[in-house]
Amino acid sequence: MTNGRTAVTAPSLRGTGVPIPRSGPGSGAWFLARANLSVLIDLLHEDGRTVIGPTVRDGTIMYDEIRGIEDLPAGLGDEHRPGHYELQDRGDGRLFGYTVGPAGPKRWTFPPLVPLTVGRRDGRSVTFEPAPVDSPSLAFLGVRACELAALGIQDRVFLGGPYTDDDYRARRRAALLIAVNCSTASSTCFCTSMGTGPEVRSGYDIVLTELDEGFVVRAGSPEGAALVAHLPVRAADAAQIERAAESVDRVATMIGDPVPTEGLHDRLLAQFDSPRWAQIAERCLSCANCTLVCPTCFCSSVVQRSDLDGTTSTSERIWDTCFTAGFARVAGGNFRSRPRDRYRQWLTHKFATWIDQFGTTGCVGCGRCITWCPVGIDVRAELLAIAPPLAVQPETAPLRPAAATTKEFTTGRIRAVRSETADVTTLTVGDVDPAFLAGRFGQFAMLALPSFPPLPISISRYRRDAIDLTIRAAGPATATLVELGPGDEIGLRGPLGEPWPIERAVGHDVVIVTGGIGLAPLRPLIDGVLAQRDRFDAVRLYYGARTADDQLYREELRGWAARGDIDVQLTVDRAGPEWAGPVGVVTHLFDRATWDGSRSLAFVCGPERMMEATAEALADHGLTPDRIFFTLERHMECGIGLCGHCQVGKLFVCRDGPVFSLAQLGDVLGREGI
Amino acid sequence: MTARARPRLRVGVVKFASCDGCQLTLLDLEDELLALGERFDIVEFPEATSLRSTGPFDVLLVEGAISTPDQAREILELRHQATTLVTIGACATSGGIQALRNWSSEPAFRAAVYPHPEYVDSLAAATPVSEHVKVDAELRGCPISTDQLRELLVSVALGRRPQIRDEAVCLECKRRGTVCVLVASGIPCLGPVTQAGCGALCPAYARGCYGCFGPREQANSPSLARSFAHGGREPIDVASLFAGFTGWAPPFRAVIAEYGGPPGRTPPDAAEAGEAGSAPASTAATAEGGDDAR
Repeated sequence: MTNGRTAVTAPSLRGTGVPIPRSGPGSGAWFLARANLSVLIDLLHEDGRTVIGPTVRDGTIMYDEIRGIEDLPAGLGDEHRPGHYELQDRGDGRLFGYTVGPAGPKRWTFPPLVPLTVGRRDGRSVTFEPAPVDSPSLAFLGVRACELAALGIQDRVFLGGPYTDDDYRARRRAALLIAVNCSTASSTCFCTSMGTGPEVRSGYDIVLTELDEGFVVRAGSPEGAALVAHLPVRAADAAQIERAAESVDRVATMIGDPVPTEGLHDRLLAQFDSPRWAQIAERCLSCANCTLVCPTCFCSSVVQRSDLDGTTSTSERIWDTCFTAGFARVAGGNFRSRPRDRYRQWLTHKFATWIDQFGTTGCVGCGRCITWCPVGIDVRAELLAIAPPLAVQPETAPLRPAAATTKEFTTGRIRAVRSETADVTTLTVGDVDPAFLAGRFGQFAMLALPSFPPLPISISRYRRDAIDLTIRAAGPATATLVELGPGDEIGLRGPLGEPWPIERAVGHDVVIVTGGIGLAPLRPLIDGVLAQRDRFDAVRLYYGARTADDQLYREELRGWAARGDIDVQLTVDRAGPEWAGPVGVVTHLFDRATWDGSRSLAFVCGPERMMEATAEALADHGLTPDRIFFTLERHMECGIGLCGHCQVGKLFVCRDGPVFSLAQLGDVLGREGI
Repeated sequence: MTARARPRLRVGVVKFASCDGCQLTLLDLEDELLALGERFDIVEFPEATSLRSTGPFDVLLVEGAISTPDQAREILELRHQATTLVTIGACATSGGIQALRNWSSEPAFRAAVYPHPEYVDSLAAATPVSEHVKVDAELRGCPISTDQLRELLVSVALGRRPQIRDEAVCLECKRRGTVCVLVASGIPCLGPVTQAGCGALCPAYARGCYGCFGPREQANSPSLARSFAHGGREPIDVASLFAGFTGWAPPFRAVIAEYGGPPGRTPPDAAEAGEAGSAPASTAATAEGGDDAR
């Protein structure tokens, strides 16, 4: 034991005859009471390790040496926005209820200053003496999935090539990694997009998942298993294991997929001449904060410190960055003289050429470069602006849906059925083809039961491993569908159609106007906007329904309104005794509002006459036709533009839509008989 | 040994409008003063020795801004006497704190400060040495860094280029593990646009950098100023942040002008006249020349 301040004394189980849980890599999940985390810390200290864990310093939760459990940030969370970080009181006792601090373990594995050589000059002879490698025995506590991924990337950089870095190798070998699954996400997180988290999958010795009452513990290496064997743990029960899994699933859902990485390498490298680089440079300070907080950036320089007569000099490696002027300077000039050149070098390296060099992207999606940019440049928004995803480029092929012909169907299993209104039901469908989980906001599925005609149904929510389909019982087929219960299987094709172009709204105001069941195809868009709320300016939702009882997702509407960062306004056609809000058509909610629509993108869904009126009202607010989007309803049978039912003028609604801009639709919107 | 075979270099230390703090940094190199004495013959350094010299100098360290007609004449003569002329400190490299008077009417300012303004003969503006003569190297700061002064002397003695990094203060914060005060605490900080060299001293004590090392290369001060203004600050408060020890340096001066500063000008309505009249047309060119010299 290294100190007497821990709340629970650490029993040394070695050779005491206390039953030791049979534990080996992957052999099971154990439960550790929260207070007993101190035992783990004490074991690490007994093992001669310095423990680096999260602690509160300078208004942040950051890695530093910790002496015991009392140094951990109990009950604290963190709020991240572009250019902004703030601690928050969670009101609970969780020790890992935050996301990522201002710096990862890089400071210890790739320190900011490392001595290299001492050079000496004696008369005509010179000698160079390498500095000894210093690799303290460390244990990192609280390492997140993105940080483990970053260590894996630096492993490739420093150890994966023909020449390796001895200092890094020694430091990595001397470090034990106690990982933690994230139980919350920040608005800057995008590990899901980079495929690194939030779940810890490899590269750890022990991984903890924090529950209200303690931790679910798993070992990931023989060394980790040996440690677990000395902890006062018991086998985790099934409910705890399930809650642990749900906890990390919830985080993934919170994050969504803010950076579409499909084809990003090629998309980005095709944009060397984008005018956006110069625009970013007007904001970019080239201060290098982004690269210095990045857990994978590895650039360095060597500096000399010599004595006055030049006989002895010490050279040191220090952190450097592609954002400094000197980094690409040679006698007579500088290859990347302008800040725009340096930003381009950084972004294209991180997301594209890094892959060519090291077989992996250089970004883990931790979001530090966003939070710690003094002027709040959001790399996600820049990527979308410079290299928009293929799916929003009409000239390129859309992502391939599952069961892309009318002969095929995949299946899904209903997990939950929820009655929204008297005639509207939401099915949560799991066990679906992965293509559905990668679907985009505004896409639909062809839903089928044998002996009934397939129906186009909007996907009203994307969950981590399921989708929601919201259905109005309007005919015999839909009536049968909404009678299904949990466990019943249904047939699915999709996801189909063009999505809402949410990427175009980044950095703009978002206006959502909808009526009745039209909220269903917009709900994924709202989820997406709220999950990345900082990337949009004002967000306004106007929703009309026949009566208050006809509103979909009533609890969620209240929840959105309570957030305070989205203006939710509701109206009904007929007020009942419970309704104290506005009465009338949805456009009345905003036709006298004073906001300026020239900075807005609008997303509209409802009856076609309502959409037509909305288009006029939005035009009055200054929205141009290319910034107003509708989703159309038509008779669809094939869903892939082959059966001919859904044509609107030259457009197939199923294939070219269902989301269209007003500019695409022109005067066919609301025109009778089309 | 080759280095010792060379003759001792004649070093002078002189000052103009300044507080003497920078030249005292030379005496702060306590442990190495004897070794310095072996390599350098300090022939002019009124703060340290009563021996005087008017040159010639192999190396001349010049502190202070040029603020009077006499100083403007003297620096021309000293330049002729110096093989390598190095300006040291915020006053010599950017005009210093006294350059804040440059935005005011000089006669009005003189009358406000001195009981007998007729005895005082000063120029309309306090300006950096580089606006008067060619400068071979600059050491920034208020005061300068002992490490950078040492590096400069070593490099002169060895005949190599001094390794003085023109990066932002942010790099020094990150290397020493200081959390960004701007992002975590909302403290306005000039670190992103200020040249490193101080070791990121102020942020380490939970203060914002106030720019005493002056603008770094290609300082994007307009963007930083916009973010300060976006944070809800009045324009004059944004101007104040940049109107410090190096406010007269062109990248900061432009921001101060854009945001209506600096506060407290004499008379208050002299802004436009002072701005137009006191900014020599050659300022930008000489500043770039200084960059090249580094």
